[in-house]
Amino acid sequence: MSKPLRIALTKGRLEKDTVGLLEKLGFDCTAVREKGRKLILPVPDANLEVVLAKANDVITYVEHGVCDMGVVGKDTIMEMKGKFFELVDLGFGRCKFALATKKGYDFYSGYGIKTIATKYPNVSRSFFEKKGMDTEIIKIEGSVELAPLLELADGIVDIVETGTTLKENGLEVIEDVAPISARLIANTVSLKLRQKEIENLINLIEENL
Amino acid sequence: MKNYDLITPEGTKDLLFEECIIRRNTEASLHRIFKSRGYSEMITPGLEFYDVFNLNSRYFPQENLYKLTDSKGRLLVLRPDSTMPIARVVATRLKDAMLPLKLYYNQTVYRTEPALKGRSDEIAQAGIELIGSELKIADLEVISTAVSTLKSFGMKFSLELGHIGIFKELVRKLEVTDKVKDKIRKLIETKNFPALNDLLDTLGNNSVTNALKKLPALFGGIEVFDKAKALMPDERIKEILDELKEIYCDASEICGNDGEITVDLGLVNKTDYYTGIIIKGYLQGYGSEVISGGRYDKLISEFGYDIPAVGFAIDIDAVSKVLVKNGATPEKPMTDAIVYAENGFEVEALKKAQKLRDSGLIVENALFDSLETVREYAKENKISKIVVVDGKDDNETEVL
Repeated sequence: MSKPLRIALTKGRLEKDTVGLLEKLGFDCTAVREKGRKLILPVPDANLEVVLAKANDVITYVEHGVCDMGVVGKDTIMEMKGKFFELVDLGFGRCKFALATKKGYDFYSGYGIKTIATKYPNVSRSFFEKKGMDTEIIKIEGSVELAPLLELADGIVDIVETGTTLKENGLEVIEDVAPISARLIANTVSLKLRQKEIENLINLIEENL
Repeated sequence: MKNYDLITPEGTKDLLFEECIIRRNTEASLHRIFKSRGYSEMITPGLEFYDVFNLNSRYFPQENLYKLTDSKGRLLVLRPDSTMPIARVVATRLKDAMLPLKLYYNQTVYRTEPALKGRSDEIAQAGIELIGSELKIADLEVISTAVSTLKSFGMKFSLELGHIGIFKELVRKLEVTDKVKDKIRKLIETKNFPALNDLLDTLGNNSVTNALKKLPALFGGIEVFDKAKALMPDERIKEILDELKEIYCDASEICGNDGEITVDLGLVNKTDYYTGIIIKGYLQGYGSEVISGGRYDKLISEFGYDIPAVGFAIDIDAVSKVLVKNGATPEKPMTDAIVYAENGFEVEALKKAQKLRDSGLIVENALFDSLETVREYAKENKISKIVVVDGKDDNETEVL
């Protein structure tokens, strides 16, 4: 048997969904389910090695080719960019990037430069660049919803799933920026040098989505 | 003020001892290969005018260039690539030279990379440019040089071929803006099937959009050509496919069993630059291509001299990294002997050492004031012979 294919999974929900998918394909993921504190885990009957990492790191590991494939959200891909193949939309982890403001606030009025608070400065910048709109972007690490409430920002660009947090804090979505879901990515060289194995896995996955 | 006198800038590093030897050995072997095929070396300045890299086909985004100004305030860059400067020289000083020109280079290039990503801003490259021939044999010449180069590293490799003409012919048939065309190109380059399908669905369902949808999936071995032919809507594209297939078969024959020739019709990077075949080389154990090149028949004309060209560049740092990872231990030149002078016999000792060197040995002069320290030094550095010059007829020789 050849060296196992390494696949980096974004820890948390995407990891669970991916493991669920692998099990649906008939692979035994016991080692991943009972991982304890281990970060590299085998899925022997798929000849896979699962690596658990934070979203941004999934891209870094795949770009450098130390992991052959990865599962990561489109949000991270849009923010990080990078050189890899984005092969499959896995369909789970669905949500969206959206622009939100305080309820009733007329965001596009007036000449003043608007201030945007976000965890995703690159996504925000390119969204407003496309509109030809100069904005001031402030990076916030925690709950972005605070920024308009504290009147630091006019609006936020953030991931929205159900919109409950926004509603409870008196904010509302005024525009969708981009849809998000989990993607299967691959290193550009791995796909070529291990084409058969990766293609087989992808075919299996696509049949079972 | 903070002082940065003890570190090197982000994306650069010092190379020491073994690292240097591996890099220089790799370079020497490339020089040998290129020279043995009749290529002449060319050295261009590290500094160029920004304009050289700011042609119509803006292949170098300005945010990736190191810029500075000269004493007249003109904008300069640290060269981000060697092909453009060579094209500049060919279109000027070599304008009357007999064609084809076969040139090679080995120099560093500079590009700003995002920080903290583990990438270098200074990259050692070598490469060839075959200028003035649009014959198939010129493509083959460059491909076979790439194969020899990859073979010389003694590792499993794969050389991938593509042809930009297929993509160009296909998008030409679409009635969309250049912006949309570039969007399609990017999605094909990143093999982003979901987004590519969505975008092309909005442009109608016909043989062209269908072929474009499949383009990124058309990679692998010889079977790709039949699959592709069935999909292509147009005779011209089929001709290109046949040309590429011929080159593919020839290259496979040249390559033999040491490596693998593959094809990827979804290679659509740098479309403004490439006009024909595209080549990429991969080594097992490295996450990016180590060789990148192709045919660029329109580039030199942007400098005012309309001649075709084909070539490739190889990333020497990447190759060195893989060599080290695969446990390459460079042959370090070992000192054969060390010559120690007793007080008052320094000149005699220096002469003696030179005499030994002239006979072909690697000989050091001992730079210590006691024989005891010389012994320690010799032991530490695995030098097997100490020659003591003390004026007696027979020079004392100790073998450790």
